[in-house]
Amino acid sequence: MIEVERVDYVRVPVDDIEAAKHFYGEVLGLPRNEHLDHEDWVEYETPNVTLAVMTPESHEYEFTPLPPATIALRVPDVAVAREKLQAAGLEAGETWDSGACRGVGVTDPAGNRILLHRRYAPYDDGTPPSPS
Amino acid sequence: MADGIGAQRVDFIAVPTRDRAAAARFYEETLGLRKNANSTDTWIEFETGNVTLALVDPSSAGQPFTPLPFGSIVIRVPDVEAARAKLQEAGVEVFGETWDSGVCNGAVFKDSEGNGLAVHHRYAPYPDGTLP
Repeated sequence: MIEVERVDYVRVPVDDIEAAKHFYGEVLGLPRNEHLDHEDWVEYETPNVTLAVMTPESHEYEFTPLPPATIALRVPDVAVAREKLQAAGLEAGETWDSGACRGVGVTDPAGNRILLHRRYAPYDDGTPPSPS
Repeated sequence: MADGIGAQRVDFIAVPTRDRAAAARFYEETLGLRKNANSTDTWIEFETGNVTLALVDPSSAGQPFTPLPFGSIVIRVPDVEAARAKLQEAGVEVFGETWDSGVCNGAVFKDSEGNGLAVHHRYAPYPDGTLP
């Protein structure tokens, strides 16, 4: 087995970097990694893992979006997040409830379906889902 | 929407599978990740240190299987060449040469299901002297 230390980043393939910058930076409100200054590779930070928004076309491979709901982004309140997305003119799906968590899907301008997610139920051993 | 939707972290990255048992062996034995105690028969989670990988079966939701694109999940290792050798020993095909961008190096491969992964190590500090 290999020695895994962490996940450095998850690639988010896009076909229009400016539209993606608006979505990830303004609509989702993620802070940008200011250390980098590339036209075709922009990193956004969530507190635990980096999302590398990049254009496959300028990296010598073909653009295909991520499978639906690859990235589950934790929000404090799924309903509030959904309202904010709709206020920003985005189409958000119906909120689902699994009995342990809620989620709603939103599609970025490149067609990547992002899941906004909140677990509310404690785990089987009684430990609560972490608050933040 | 300066604050965006208040994203708190990435709860999980969904890894699509066709053969979840084979995929679980790959993540546990080849990558050496720890299975999360909250895993069940139908929802298996692995921990990487900073973000959870969830093995999902799209067919259970009536969705077609689509693998993660090229190099989607980029795993930090202490030594890319050592990781590459171990992957190859385990029979994993590593694609192309190890890349070196001048600040980091890495190598791309696929899991047992065809999902695009990479091992990666940034060795150069940012201009202000910090490391990721």
